[in-house]
Amino acid sequence: MNRTPEELVREIETLSGQRIADCYQCGCCSAGCPIGTAMEPPPSKAIRLLQLGRVEELLQSEGIWLCASCLVCGTRCPRGVDYARIAEACRLLILRTKRSVVDPDCVVPADLEDVPQQAFIASFRKFSV
Amino acid sequence: MRYLYYPGCTLYSKAKNLDRCARRAAERVGITLEELPSWNCCGAIFNTGSDDIAGQVGPVRVLAKASQLGDRLVTLCAACYNVLKRAGARLNIPGNELERQRVLEFVEEKMERDVRVVHYLEVLKEDIGWEGVRRRVSKPLNGLKVACYYGCLMVRPKEVLSFDDPENPMVMDELVAELGGEPVRFDFKAECCGGYLVVNRREVAQECSMRVVENARSWGAELIVTTCPLCQYNLEMAQKSVGARRNLPVLPVLYFTQLLGLALGLPEEELGFEDNKLNPVDFLKEKGLL
Ligand code: SF4
Ligand code: SF4
Repeated sequence: MNRTPEELVREIETLSGQRIADCYQCGCCSAGCPIGTAMEPPPSKAIRLLQLGRVEELLQSEGIWLCASCLVCGTRCPRGVDYARIAEACRLLILRTKRSVVDPDCVVPADLEDVPQQAFIASFRKFSV
Repeated sequence: MRYLYYPGCTLYSKAKNLDRCARRAAERVGITLEELPSWNCCGAIFNTGSDDIAGQVGPVRVLAKASQLGDRLVTLCAACYNVLKRAGARLNIPGNELERQRVLEFVEEKMERDVRVVHYLEVLKEDIGWEGVRRRVSKPLNGLKVACYYGCLMVRPKEVLSFDDPENPMVMDELVAELGGEPVRFDFKAECCGGYLVVNRREVAQECSMRVVENARSWGAELIVTTCPLCQYNLEMAQKSVGARRNLPVLPVLYFTQLLGLALGLPEEELGFEDNKLNPVDFLKEKGLL
């Protein structure tokens, strides 16, 4: 991606409808995130990276792919920032370069038998081109 | 009373028991669920990208189809409920007229009127009323201690879902009490089960689910009820793998419609327990409920 950090942050703000500067780093979002320690960076830290212009770091992180869209972060944010939408905007930037993170062709038959359709559709929509 | 009903993909396959018990229980309380003709998948999860119009096509087509037949659409799957409601709200955001027009043009269906998406639980509470439900209970639950698990999709985002308190929802607890059960206090009732992460990060989802189950157990629950096929799957599978490895006792996970059907006296063969991955039949027999 040949865009400056500033352009990328602006694009993330447009796609997510959120203002990065609104976050005052209280940490409520990260405290409530059910993915907890597995999510790196957790929501507040992810937003901090954007505030510092370290966009590439966030785009290359695993954290943006670990969000389960549970919306606890946004529900509890005292500043009305919805991190789930910011994470989705970051993922979209990557997915739109035609790079999937979950490949529907790689689902194993045992899972097809077992896992509810709802989970496949949701996962492919969030993580695949 | 007749209601337009949207089952969604999962209720036609992996969650047949959720759907079937709901239809039979509805008959018992005087409701007919009329399936929306030629429905399509709602998309299972809401897309939030501000320019993501393709993601709105599925749910909007469902709403448009429904609008041609009525002004309310009943859902049962928590994901369908969440996605359809949010898609409807997004379509009506002031300033979003261009997107509205483009999506509707794409689906080639007319939106005849606004459609209110309601959950089956809301119909029970608001239209039948708890008194109306209680009157039809023929097999009270004998004080069974139940943890009502709502998960994320029923209650968030609160501005749009307006279903119940986003941190401490109560409607399923109220229903269980009317059926003669004892809803337990349960701090993780709206915590995430890990959701669709089970597809590619199974271990993360299982940890989330085990936390929910263990919290329910620590408050004395003997059983968990859900209204989401994915929550149900995750809570059951986590127990079958992680729970079994840690030698934890099993907490059965039922759809609330199965518990409702049981209390309304539906015969055992209509309750679909054979499709539950942790078969609750022995437990329910022990409790004198089967
Ligand atoms: S809860 Fe809101 S304000 Fe607090 S750190 Fe998270 S995003 Fe920032
Ligand atoms: S929406 Fe995503 S980031 Fe926010 S609390 Fe839930 S899992 Fe964590």
